[in-house]
Amino acid sequence: MSVATPAADAAIARAASLRDTLAVSFRDEAVRSIYAEATRIADRAAHQAGDRRYDFDQRIDRIVTSPVFGLPLMAALLAVVFWITIVGSNTPGVWLASGLFWIEDQGAALFTALGLPWWATGFVWHGVYKGLAWVISVMLPPMAIFFPLFTMLEDLGYLPRVAFNLDFLFRRAGAHGKQALTMAMGFGCNAAGVIATRVIDSPRERLIAILTNNFVPCNGRYPTLIMLATIFVAAQFPPALASAAAAGAVMAVVALGVVFTLAVSWALSRTVLRGEASAFTLELPPYRRPGVLRILYTSLIDRTLFVLWRACLTAAPAGAVIWILGNISAGGATLDQHIAGFLQPFGHLLGLDGVILLAYIIAIPANEIVVPTMLMVYMGTGQMTDVTSFEDLRRLLVDGHGWTMLTAVNLMLFALLHNPCGTTILTIYKETLSAKWAAVSALLPLALGFLVTFFVAAIWRLFL
Amino acid sequence: MDTTLLILVAAIPLAWAAYRWHQRQTHVRSRRDLEDALKHLFEQEYRGRRASLSSLAGVLRLGGHAVVTLAGRMQAQGLVVAHGQEFTLTPEGETLALQIVRAHRLLERYFADEARLPLGQVHAEAERREHGLTPEDVDRLSAALGHPVVDPHGDPIPTRDGVLAPPSGTPATAWPAHTLGRIVHLEDEPEISFAQIVAEGLRLGQRVRIVASTPERLVLSDGEHEFRLAPAVAANVFLAPDTGLEAEAGLRRLSDLPTGERAEVVGLDESCQGFSRRRLMDLGFTAGARTRPFLETFASDPRAYEVRGTLIALRRDLAAQVLVRPMAADTPPAAKGAASR
Repeated sequence: MSVATPAADAAIARAASLRDTLAVSFRDEAVRSIYAEATRIADRAAHQAGDRRYDFDQRIDRIVTSPVFGLPLMAALLAVVFWITIVGSNTPGVWLASGLFWIEDQGAALFTALGLPWWATGFVWHGVYKGLAWVISVMLPPMAIFFPLFTMLEDLGYLPRVAFNLDFLFRRAGAHGKQALTMAMGFGCNAAGVIATRVIDSPRERLIAILTNNFVPCNGRYPTLIMLATIFVAAQFPPALASAAAAGAVMAVVALGVVFTLAVSWALSRTVLRGEASAFTLELPPYRRPGVLRILYTSLIDRTLFVLWRACLTAAPAGAVIWILGNISAGGATLDQHIAGFLQPFGHLLGLDGVILLAYIIAIPANEIVVPTMLMVYMGTGQMTDVTSFEDLRRLLVDGHGWTMLTAVNLMLFALLHNPCGTTILTIYKETLSAKWAAVSALLPLALGFLVTFFVAAIWRLFL
Repeated sequence: MDTTLLILVAAIPLAWAAYRWHQRQTHVRSRRDLEDALKHLFEQEYRGRRASLSSLAGVLRLGGHAVVTLAGRMQAQGLVVAHGQEFTLTPEGETLALQIVRAHRLLERYFADEARLPLGQVHAEAERREHGLTPEDVDRLSAALGHPVVDPHGDPIPTRDGVLAPPSGTPATAWPAHTLGRIVHLEDEPEISFAQIVAEGLRLGQRVRIVASTPERLVLSDGEHEFRLAPAVAANVFLAPDTGLEAEAGLRRLSDLPTGERAEVVGLDESCQGFSRRRLMDLGFTAGARTRPFLETFASDPRAYEVRGTLIALRRDLAAQVLVRPMAADTPPAAKGAASR
């Protein structure tokens, strides 16, 4: 590079001095001439005689983005995706769980046969391994169904239309229309949703999207919501309406999540993240036939396995902690019972109880293990526990531990509004490279959750 | 006894550190005051006025004694010359002042275009960050922004060699009534009057005429809205004869074009700079491109526009930056560009 001669130096210096004197519009001129040249070449090389596919695209676009059908169509499509995810992941989840837990039993048996002490068996197999197995069996099937479906819609070209349809809401909230996309991704997994915010150019609007992504419930939180809706909400309705009522309750929580997303975005863009809206430009690409193999590959490798790997990294230590708390006793009760007792007054204030708060503290690494941890403490089994029938579960919670409708409602609210899981917090840190914003993203929803459950509990107890 | 000694020994480095910190703060503050004073003198001279001790004290919010000390320092360094109560800059002082003005206006450009701060906050933010930049830093900033020539308020930005375009525009108070003019400069000081101008909704590049003028009120109109300003505020709005693209007859903003109507892009609004301008041009909204609003949403903002064979959704505020000439209905559909892909 250092071959500059005096003549070259002089030329560079002259170019630098002339640079300042260029008219502002020289950039416009440069871009215009590039486009003109590209058009010339394209016209010489390609001929076009009508395009039926293009007309077809236009007809679809008019329906999909129509002021009348656009939004209902979108809601229906999303509902179908959720339904397929919930129904489809049921059976594989059970298979996966029985397979993985069979390995646990074999492993534990092997350890016992080798003459290792009980605590080594317990720690490794009923602690660390069980935490991993649980997260994998609960998380993997829905993610492996949700992400390909989602990528399919993306590949088809439908998702940009969703952003286009919803932009009017996000514009009013001072956020970017593409936040609709990252929010939808958050239904699958908040960590993936946070990564997806890379499509937003403006750092301010991207940060809003990151901080509010946690307000939509992810796959890991659906099991809690579905269980509560089934046991408590559906039970209030005649059997014919029960499943519809349960589904309605889950959808209501999802809708509430969207409301919180918009409200918090609005508040942020008017306080700490003040600024003008950035240039919103969104290409609505032509519809394409989705490439199924490529979709399976990218959504399984890039999204599912990537997210699962991070979840495993945090679930294994959590499994260990759960086992230790459930198996070390002091003064006639295990550690987790002590902690739950200590948290009880605060839990009661929020319309919850100490065990639920303890479960949420232990389950910071991954939301999937909230319910199993809760059951473990209630039943005192010393390891994460599953109760297979909803009827058994109902008896345990209502009759055994005094749950009421208020507990169920507030737990559903708290499942929606609490700190993101460890994976998501870690992802937020990696995406923003700021410990401050990662902390804000964790504490903001938690504070909101405390506030909302506190007021719901107070009003409930006052009037009912 | 030992404890006292220990505390004393520990206190010495602490006290020394505190003293150095204090010294540094004083140094930073005095440099900031000096630079702000030079800038004030420069701006007064630029507008054909003279700066005095009292105008300095007002701008820098300093007491009488401090201002006299500061003025003495500037004289001793050969930066200013005193004429009784008033001061003028020496050539050295002017060079230094131009550097700070350049840094300030480039920073304003950056905060307005790239960081997208509200226009009302841009000045204060630049005021805070302009000190402590080296000329090289400022050159790099200028290059990164594409060597802009005016700041977001329409003030010219000095070049590296200290060349500054003369002030442009006539105050609205001196502009002939009922004559169309383009806003070329909005004075950003004092802040209260600028905030009022922004609150009224006046912006750079807007075409207005004066429709009524009384001793208490000046009423400007852009044909749709009326803007009422006190004469003291209106004197901070500068107009110039309309020469820009917007003056051309028959041009419309893309946002005003009815859905489905075809048009040819003529150019982008001058006030659209930085990221938004680059993005619009990258997407193909360049002179000569054919376009039409194609899809409307629920709230009819954003709309999707067909341009160069693809569909691009824009919000209304961004589409308003694109100036187009509607094409007559009988023009044959575009053979190239608009409908080809």
